[in-house]
Amino acid sequence: MPDKPMVNDRYQRMQRTASIHLKMEAKNTLQKIVEEFPNNPAQMDHFYRKARIFTGEEKFSARGRHVVATMCIHVPIELILAAGAIPYRICSGAYATDQIGAEFLPAKSCPLVKATLGTIFLHLYQYDIVPDLIVNPTTCDQKKKLAELSGELTESPFYTLEVPPTRDSEDARIYWQRVVKRFARRLENLTGTKITRRKLKGAIRQVYRAQVQYRRFFNLRKGLPVIWGKDAILVTNTYFYSDIEEWTNALEKLNGELEQRIANTDRVVSPRAPRILLTGSPSIFPNMKVPILVEQLGGIVVAEEFCSSSRLLYDTVAVDEWFLYDMLPAVADRYLKPCTCPNFTPNTDRLRKLLDHVREFTIDGVIYQAFAGCQLYEMESRLIGNALEKNGIPMLYVETDYSPDDLGQISTRIEAFIESLKTRKKKKD
Amino acid sequence: MKKLSTFVNNANISRFRFYIQLLSFIVLIYGGYAYISIGQNLPTFACPYNHATAGNCFLISLQHQLHNSWQNLLGFRGIALLSAIISFLLFFILLNKAWCGYICPLGTIQDWLTSLRKRLGIRFARYEESTFRKLKKVKYVVLVWLIVAPLFIANSVFGLPRLSHDFFPPFCTICPARPVLPLFTGDTSQYFIDFSSPITLTMTALGLVIVALFLVGSFVKKRFFCLFCPMSALHYLFSRLAILRLTKEGEKCTKCGNCFRVCDVNIVEIADDVTHRNIVQDDCMMCFKCVEACPEDGCLKVSVLGLPIFVSSEEGFFHRYGPLENKEIKDA
Ligand code: SF4
Ligand code: SF4
Repeated sequence: MPDKPMVNDRYQRMQRTASIHLKMEAKNTLQKIVEEFPNNPAQMDHFYRKARIFTGEEKFSARGRHVVATMCIHVPIELILAAGAIPYRICSGAYATDQIGAEFLPAKSCPLVKATLGTIFLHLYQYDIVPDLIVNPTTCDQKKKLAELSGELTESPFYTLEVPPTRDSEDARIYWQRVVKRFARRLENLTGTKITRRKLKGAIRQVYRAQVQYRRFFNLRKGLPVIWGKDAILVTNTYFYSDIEEWTNALEKLNGELEQRIANTDRVVSPRAPRILLTGSPSIFPNMKVPILVEQLGGIVVAEEFCSSSRLLYDTVAVDEWFLYDMLPAVADRYLKPCTCPNFTPNTDRLRKLLDHVREFTIDGVIYQAFAGCQLYEMESRLIGNALEKNGIPMLYVETDYSPDDLGQISTRIEAFIESLKTRKKKKD
Repeated sequence: MKKLSTFVNNANISRFRFYIQLLSFIVLIYGGYAYISIGQNLPTFACPYNHATAGNCFLISLQHQLHNSWQNLLGFRGIALLSAIISFLLFFILLNKAWCGYICPLGTIQDWLTSLRKRLGIRFARYEESTFRKLKKVKYVVLVWLIVAPLFIANSVFGLPRLSHDFFPPFCTICPARPVLPLFTGDTSQYFIDFSSPITLTMTALGLVIVALFLVGSFVKKRFFCLFCPMSALHYLFSRLAILRLTKEGEKCTKCGNCFRVCDVNIVEIADDVTHRNIVQDDCMMCFKCVEACPEDGCLKVSVLGLPIFVSSEEGFFHRYGPLENKEIKDA
């Protein structure tokens, strides 16, 4: 760990306590996920094990490679891989670090930002490693300021990736393509590896392979419920910090098992269980409060429109001429054009996507999770809610955070919502 | 049936297109040697200045038919004109704008120049969107010119003096196909400057400048000339009658922009328009590269008489873009 201005007794105490809390939190959530649900796929074991990185039971080695920490979903992973480094997303879902971050941020800040700041401050990354670079895309206002604040608190260098506020205009595209090109140079400087045509092509294909499996996974959830949503969320969460090949292979095995289940009509829940689409602020392990509640209370999450899941992996790179001059802009485009992050305006595509998911996944109801203090999702909820209502889809808006305090209150609301969906479903049949 | 459609949807249409283009090129340019004659009113640049052409470009017939007095045009000449238009339409409705993407020899040459550039690893040029929007109007101006000029040469309109006959044929004199295509049968006789009058001098000189622009332009910019092509403008007027269609189901589109990225003629609407079903734009050459690049099942669709023949699919996308070449995945 590099020297930081604030390393002193108090810091070390904080670090120790938070790390103990984090481990407990992760252990508890995992226990719920693994033990309190019947019929988990055997191939989920790999992902459960991966999540144990938070409990300290699982270790990871960077194998001498540089580690590039990322936030949000706008950081082009392909470039990091092509430069020979390991991408590693640090957006945190931990209450333990949320409380630490709260010391530095206004009270009404988003828990995800607080938790991420806490992670950076205390170096409580999932691995015992220090990022060689922390890439901070200029997405929401809080993430923007996070970099400046963290700069005071950590020695890891920050890199600001300038995300434009819109994505439909040509100006935004060209600007972003330039930003991405500059980022590629920075990565080359960091690792000393040139991003060549072959390396980048290899990296694009590496991500393709992950996407092939991810899309297969995504699509098979359109039918019979053969996997719990809490597991599906964990699968995409582990992508944040897994070796991409290893992750892809594990998901391929899981997909095989799930397809087998479909063939055997071996579902995890009765077909009468309301099919739920989750959207809004992302569920990131160990904050699995809402999905676990939904499924404990009789629903099944069949799709998520989150930046921690579908938005992360779904969209593909299309290159016309496999040279750097076309590959770099192609990679840039993939992170801008289809991204439905609410930091963009207009963001009507998010609504179109939700409506598409409602049809494709035969959704009975949508649960809109907004973290208290996450302004963008809070603000977009109104537009989305109105439009869903117009289309006859019930939506429940849940404001929550990382603390366990609101568990009772939200579980009552979710329960009532699911009951009403069940009644509706019965009437329809 | 399902197997067949999966096979087609996974296919590399660009490769297929390459061979069709090659074949069409050979037939249209050299077909005359084998006494092939396809028609006098082809909706593509089958240039009769090439002595071995296997057909005639409709634009040259059109200019000649319109080069008539009003009386004639109202009489039997008019009927000839009408039948020319009908025969053009009969050819056109079969393939729609795919005449540009698959058949047009001038288009094919541009694609070959692009391949050459790619082989050399030289990057392509692109227009800014605003420039593109301005330039694309040129083709309508050229179309109006080639329709109106013959009439003005043959007639005095509103008592104005007639246009000099030296302009005739008003488009062919400046069309790059006239000098470029005969080259393939070893004929260089179209490279000349006609000093007989200021007008012929200007037109022939302009013609040569255009050839030079054509060659340089399409080397750096994909399908450079198509943006200005009056045939393309004419096609577009009738595009809705055609039986070959390119359609889009907007709800399935994620606006990922893949289709736009690979489009040789920079059609933004193909990605950004999620409301119209008929997505063919005036510059589209129906090459269907966009359908190849679209990873959403059933979003972009090529159909004949409403029957889908080539449909975008996730599987097809990954097939063409590569990762399935990886063995472990193929075995899965
Ligand atoms: S829109 Fe599609 S079919 Fe038309 S030219 Fe572009 S890529 Fe080809
Ligand atoms: S490639 Fe398909 S999904 Fe992507 S923008 Fe084009 S039509 Fe839409």
